[in-house]
Amino acid sequence: MMADGPGPSQLFEQWRKQFEEGAQAWSRLITQTTAAPSVTPDPTAFWRPVLDQGVQTWAKLFAQTPATPELITQWKQFLDQWIEAWSKVLGQAMGTEQFAKMMGQSLDQMLVAAAPAKKAMDQQIEQALQALNLPSRSQLTAVAKQLVELEDRIDRLEESLSAKLRRLSEREPR
Amino acid sequence: MAQERFADVVERFTLGFAADAPAETIRQWQEELERSVRRLRNLHGLATNPVEPKTGQTPRVEIYKRNKSRLYRYESARTHRTPVLFVPNLGISRPYIFDLLPGGSFIEHMTKQGFDFYLLDWGVFGPEDNDLSVEECVTKILPRMARKVLETSETDELSVLGYCMGAPVSASFVASHPEIPVKNFINMAGPIDFAKVGLFGLWLNRENFNVDRFVDTLGSVPADMVKAGFKLLKPTMDLSTNLNLWWNLWNDKYLEGFQALNKWANEYVAFPGEFFRQWVRDFYQDNKLYRGELVMGGRPIKLERITCPIFVVGAREDYIAPPECVRALLEKVGSREKEYIELPGGHISLIAGRGAAVHCWPKVSSWLAPRS
Repeated sequence: MMADGPGPSQLFEQWRKQFEEGAQAWSRLITQTTAAPSVTPDPTAFWRPVLDQGVQTWAKLFAQTPATPELITQWKQFLDQWIEAWSKVLGQAMGTEQFAKMMGQSLDQMLVAAAPAKKAMDQQIEQALQALNLPSRSQLTAVAKQLVELEDRIDRLEESLSAKLRRLSEREPR
Repeated sequence: MAQERFADVVERFTLGFAADAPAETIRQWQEELERSVRRLRNLHGLATNPVEPKTGQTPRVEIYKRNKSRLYRYESARTHRTPVLFVPNLGISRPYIFDLLPGGSFIEHMTKQGFDFYLLDWGVFGPEDNDLSVEECVTKILPRMARKVLETSETDELSVLGYCMGAPVSASFVASHPEIPVKNFINMAGPIDFAKVGLFGLWLNRENFNVDRFVDTLGSVPADMVKAGFKLLKPTMDLSTNLNLWWNLWNDKYLEGFQALNKWANEYVAFPGEFFRQWVRDFYQDNKLYRGELVMGGRPIKLERITCPIFVVGAREDYIAPPECVRALLEKVGSREKEYIELPGGHISLIAGRGAAVHCWPKVSSWLAPRS
């Protein structure tokens, strides 16, 4: 049924190796995609404590018999740490000037491409609505803006009126 | 066989578990099994019959409206004379996060503590609001709201509590309107020194982000884009949220809170174009508020002109407004009485949720009470 040989500790060692290789691959990917960053991110540094802790916990749990539901709690903690490690790695990558530049360029390209398309689309919709004798979005927006301005004027009148009334009531002999 | 198979390890483990398990362990596993059944039942309920959570239940009255903005006054057994005007962020999200559920509401806490509490709800903006600027908020909307608070509460002074973006906006208002008598000012997680504002500061700096092209092309910042920006700030957030949901899914109370919070977390609000342009350019890119170079409505905005007592609250794990950029207000104000505290939690959990009820709300109300 079961062969003699390496136990769970070796299994975890293999697991750890895989994780570290994955993180190193991630690090290589970052350095290739960003144009020679001044400080190379080292995501493996984040993995090591997480992995060490995970391996120790699991080795301890495997040594326990009989196992308790604590095992599931440990698994949840391991996942939390794993997510947190990824979060730090991503945060480090996104916190570089190269990432910010790359994102800015992508957004700029998107806007440059979107601007004429949006303009053409707006014009077409406007023409279609005009042909159907329906108000366009820009016309409705203009009406709404006028309403906002009117509301503002009423507010100002109200304020000056109440200020005048206040002054008048202060002047009245008691 | 030289190497043990994974299946063998599992088999050895399960056999080991089953053998000689004491009664206590068996009871624990039974409990775990029950939890799993409850998880599945609640998951089924979530998928087939989602319940719309009832948020914002603290009774309130709308006392003033201006375009999309509303000023609400909350019912309270008023024991403090000075009213509190709460100014949250404009755009991004809805303010019912501050009155999420009974027993888990900042507003409910403040009213129970006897404060005459007012909330400025900036509203949900449409294309007709694209001309609304930070300047208009500071020089027109906020003074008007403050006057309405004074009028309805029949007092001569008020306290202003700014949260997130509401803090620098209301600090600009307090600094430039000495005719409005502000007795106390509280900054909760509001960025002041934008040189220390973290990832958003890097992404939005002048070299990386062309705000003019952005606003000129899109007109406003659509809600989906606001959402994308915040999701990018913490890409693993959804993963950990879902993991925690599964872990706590057996707990009906947790589920109720999750549904309310999840509703809020997925309801993003667009930014008016001109507001975003001025917000990014003057605050993020040029850090004008901190440098004292901001001018609004012809009035220079100098933080040193704020002389009332100041209370600043930073959150240790806040990646939207890191504590150091929030704390910076203390360096600039002219107040003699000023205090800073740093609490556990992130930008939202500072003010909403179970942790906030324990760590944050009592500190804010107990600082404000003797000064009100």
